[in-house]
Amino acid sequence: MIPTAPSKTTGVVFDVQHYAVHDGPGIRTLVFLKGCPLRCAWCCNPESQGAGPELRHARVRCRGCLRCVAACPAGAVTPGQDRLPVFDRDSCVRCADRPCVEACPSDALSVCGATMTADQVVARVAKDRAFYRNSGGGVTFSGGEPLAQPDFLAACLEGCRDEGISTAVSTSGYAPSEVLLRIAPLVNLFLFDLKLADTQEHLKWTGVPNDTILANLGFVATNVPVIVRVPLVPGCTDTPANLAGLADIIASIGVSQVNVAPAHGMGISKYADLGRDVPLDVIPPTRSSLLEAVFAFRSKGLICDAF
Amino acid sequence: MTDSFAPREVHGKPSSDRVRQLKQAYLEAPLMVDIEYIRRLTESHRRTDGMEVLERRAEDHAYALEGLTPIFHPGERIAGHKTRFIRGAIPYANYAAGPFLREMRRQQQDAQQKYVDLGEGGGVQHARREAEGGDSEVFSGKFLISRDELAEFRGICEYWEDKCLMEAGDRLWKTSFPGAGFIEDGWTIGLFTAPHDPCPEGRIVLDFRAALSRGYLALIAELEQRIATFRPGGPMGPDLHFWRASLRSLRGALVLAARYAAEARRLAAAEASPIRRDELLAMADACDQVPARPPRNFREAVQSFWFTYLLGHLEGAHLGYSPGRLDQTLFPYFRDDPSATWEDAVELAEELFVKMTRIEYIASMSWQGLGHGNLYQNLILGGLNSLGEPADNLLSKAFLQAQINLQMTQPTLSIWWHPTLSDGFLRTAVECVKTGVGYPAFFNLETYVRHEAAVTGLPIEVIRENAAMGGCTEPTLEGMSYGVVQAGFVNQGKLLELAMHDGVDPVTGVRMFPPCHPTTYDDVVGSFQDKMHVAVRNWQQYWNYVMLAHRQTVPLVFCSIFVRDCLGRGRCMDDGGAVNNRTPTTLSSGLVNVANSMAAIRKVVFEDRAATFAELQSALVANFEGHEALRKRLVNAPKWGNDDETVDRVFLDLFDDYVNWAADQRNYLGEPYDPSMLAISTPVPFGKACGAFPDGRLAGQPLADGVTSPFPGTDQNGPTAVLRSSIKVDHTRIRGGLLNLKFHPTALAGESGAQNLLALIKTYFEGPSFHVQFNVVDSHMLKDAQAHPDRYRDLVVRVAGFSAYWVEMSRALQDQVIERTEHSL
Repeated sequence: MIPTAPSKTTGVVFDVQHYAVHDGPGIRTLVFLKGCPLRCAWCCNPESQGAGPELRHARVRCRGCLRCVAACPAGAVTPGQDRLPVFDRDSCVRCADRPCVEACPSDALSVCGATMTADQVVARVAKDRAFYRNSGGGVTFSGGEPLAQPDFLAACLEGCRDEGISTAVSTSGYAPSEVLLRIAPLVNLFLFDLKLADTQEHLKWTGVPNDTILANLGFVATNVPVIVRVPLVPGCTDTPANLAGLADIIASIGVSQVNVAPAHGMGISKYADLGRDVPLDVIPPTRSSLLEAVFAFRSKGLICDAF
Repeated sequence: MTDSFAPREVHGKPSSDRVRQLKQAYLEAPLMVDIEYIRRLTESHRRTDGMEVLERRAEDHAYALEGLTPIFHPGERIAGHKTRFIRGAIPYANYAAGPFLREMRRQQQDAQQKYVDLGEGGGVQHARREAEGGDSEVFSGKFLISRDELAEFRGICEYWEDKCLMEAGDRLWKTSFPGAGFIEDGWTIGLFTAPHDPCPEGRIVLDFRAALSRGYLALIAELEQRIATFRPGGPMGPDLHFWRASLRSLRGALVLAARYAAEARRLAAAEASPIRRDELLAMADACDQVPARPPRNFREAVQSFWFTYLLGHLEGAHLGYSPGRLDQTLFPYFRDDPSATWEDAVELAEELFVKMTRIEYIASMSWQGLGHGNLYQNLILGGLNSLGEPADNLLSKAFLQAQINLQMTQPTLSIWWHPTLSDGFLRTAVECVKTGVGYPAFFNLETYVRHEAAVTGLPIEVIRENAAMGGCTEPTLEGMSYGVVQAGFVNQGKLLELAMHDGVDPVTGVRMFPPCHPTTYDDVVGSFQDKMHVAVRNWQQYWNYVMLAHRQTVPLVFCSIFVRDCLGRGRCMDDGGAVNNRTPTTLSSGLVNVANSMAAIRKVVFEDRAATFAELQSALVANFEGHEALRKRLVNAPKWGNDDETVDRVFLDLFDDYVNWAADQRNYLGEPYDPSMLAISTPVPFGKACGAFPDGRLAGQPLADGVTSPFPGTDQNGPTAVLRSSIKVDHTRIRGGLLNLKFHPTALAGESGAQNLLALIKTYFEGPSFHVQFNVVDSHMLKDAQAHPDRYRDLVVRVAGFSAYWVEMSRALQDQVIERTEHSL
């Protein structure tokens, strides 16, 4: 293969995690792209939803010293009633040198999301090349919704392919079909989320209908290996009707492997850190309901595990 | 999430009621001091004044052996104990009587004691409880001793006070060595670990293969022949005294075996259960046969190994004395015994491991704290044979299975990793890792072979065949290497402080070096290196005096018989009889903190100019109080363990300088010192002795553990980045290395988790790396175990090159294990 030219295409990445072992085979590096068109009520990474970098204030770490108040040139930070600072995100001018973050002595302030070039991402991912080789692993692009930055994602995937790194994309499937047409040839494995079989329910809980998603799944599954992932959220996705409906869809499309991912409440505190209200008080599913969900898929002849 | 946590995936059970009871008896037993051996040794020593040193040493040891009480605990099928108690330690007053006497006189034992913490729970707690209102007292912090024996022991210590190794050594170096003052000041400020005289032996593996295959009677015949044909031929020839001493040692050993045989028969005659009676008679037969003659079956082979192991252990105050490649030693007997089954092998291994764990050591409190009660008995599995073929066999797997079932702290299991080892064996190894006990540790055989070939010039096939682990993470050639290696450490963190504070220790105010006023980054590094050079050189010289005193007071005779080529050369190990005399090491720990500090100084002071050197000095003295902003800058500077080229290069340069320097001076036997880095429990007391560091570490906090482990919380890019930093360190240049990784159990769950872990190890070992080990445990569980120790009596975790019962660890060490960065996804 002829190496592609170095890519200066930029995108916004909010985290890179090494030694990820639950998002595709082997030892993987997870690259989280920022920005998502969905607003799933149970989302545990609210910092991934907005497209640009966002200020995060980890209230558990904050000692209330209020140095950030003095540091802010725009007057966007004011002392609150509980002595903790209050951030007026509309007045924030997004200074390049982040004086409020710099002033914080307890690392309570940080910025989620950094602009990177595709080359930088590939170089970072390639560092673990030897681990991928020995484990059958590779890179997984996740989000946010990675398809929401199609040029950047394509450039990253191309770069990784040039390096001989196996690629996976973890997606909600919600993107224009031409984006998937462009991306799919660069991907060795799709981890494709399906949440709700009924499109009205889908609209209610995620903010978008599911017709595009299902059409895209059909297209992808005929071209690239796919594992469908179903978030199990009590009260939202765990009804027998929904699980049976999803199982039928998956089986009819011809995908054979399903992972059930139990929801957890670990992202809840992050909403407050971003100055947002918690959309749903997520309660993790019980072990028995998890097993029932797994069984619902297995009973339709699908290979299914939960983790 | 704070009140629930992920369980460890694998949790085994002893394979029989017999072993379950043996383990339970261990868990319920107090730690005891047993003076029987030292009483007999002293009795003999009073009579043998005037004898030649080696012959006297052999006579005293053999006389002591001949009077030991044969002990059989209920249910056990392997005869022989170091003490009369379930958990017993011999106080070797002949090595160092001073610390024991100072303890009895309620004085501080040594300058290091204040830095060392001991654990409180488990067998320590049992000892303390039993001492309340009974006829016994707590001694040396955690042992129980009866009042009568304590009074007698006091007399023994007073006898040895001016004769023991420690006193003889002190007399030598304190009056002859110009660096004596530096050493003593170094102890005061925590630059060095405490005097190591109380437990200088170990880091040795005897030639068990020869002991089994030849038998003691054949060795006795050989010695008689050598003595009969010996003709005096001057100082360069064989030492007749060594051969005579060896003969005496072997004969004493056979008397002890015969006493065990007789006791087994006596117990059998009185035994009501016919099954147990047969077991006792079988043990009596075995003790008749071995170690005198070669074993006739697998069980006798285990018994023969255990006798030689025990007899060598009895001779000296050992730390790191190890069984070596026991899967190789015993396999021919297992293979050729038609009645030996897998189940037998596993159960017998479990019994053997309980016996090993029962051996305790008592030394100065400082060394008890540094070793944390672990004797570092290291059993290494796998590796290659002399032809370069993978050597893992059914026993290799059986030993892993036995520890999966048992989860005792000793022996610690290790794997000589090589890419050709079988998948089945490696997967059993990962099963054992998943129990959370912290072993097996994985060692890169190729790295060690290259190191040993470079320093000894021995053929590759000899190194492969004899490569073993003598102690926690210190490789050695079994059955052919000198054992009294330096096990004391230089505190690199303290050297950093001395460089930061113009040669004065900021904690105690003691001046160690003339004033220095660095004005550039290179000045700071140079100042550190100059101080390191002086400290290392003095430390090595000091130890050479101790080795000289060792030859004069407690030379190892029995152990020398089983170290090639002492018998052939007619020279004990102390006189250079071993094939390999390159084993004495120079140890240090804390280099990661030094590298992090240097990188932070360069960035913050000399590049960003965010503070002057003087401002940094005052911030350190103030432990960063009022200097939080500066500390944040320092903390945010690059840190080791993230594959960051700037700080990694600093570490590598410091490492190179240390290695080159440490190898520049010769040991007592005339060979260059071998550079090494280990950890044991040093990061805690060394950290306690130090103030704040320029890397943002606060005063009193433990140093980074291991050799290449990142400082807790500073590795922010996952375990692969830690390995990518560590893989840059050329471990072929040192004897040792240590990297701890902590994983949340979910990160290794299932078959894919096992495969990923093996891939991780394989990738790391593609470079010149040496060691990696894993704690697989949820930190929430460890916090729960701190709060409810009674529910976690048998919880074992990895500390450094050893594992320990959680409840018997000091609080500070527990905290250190909890704070290690936990990798989970």
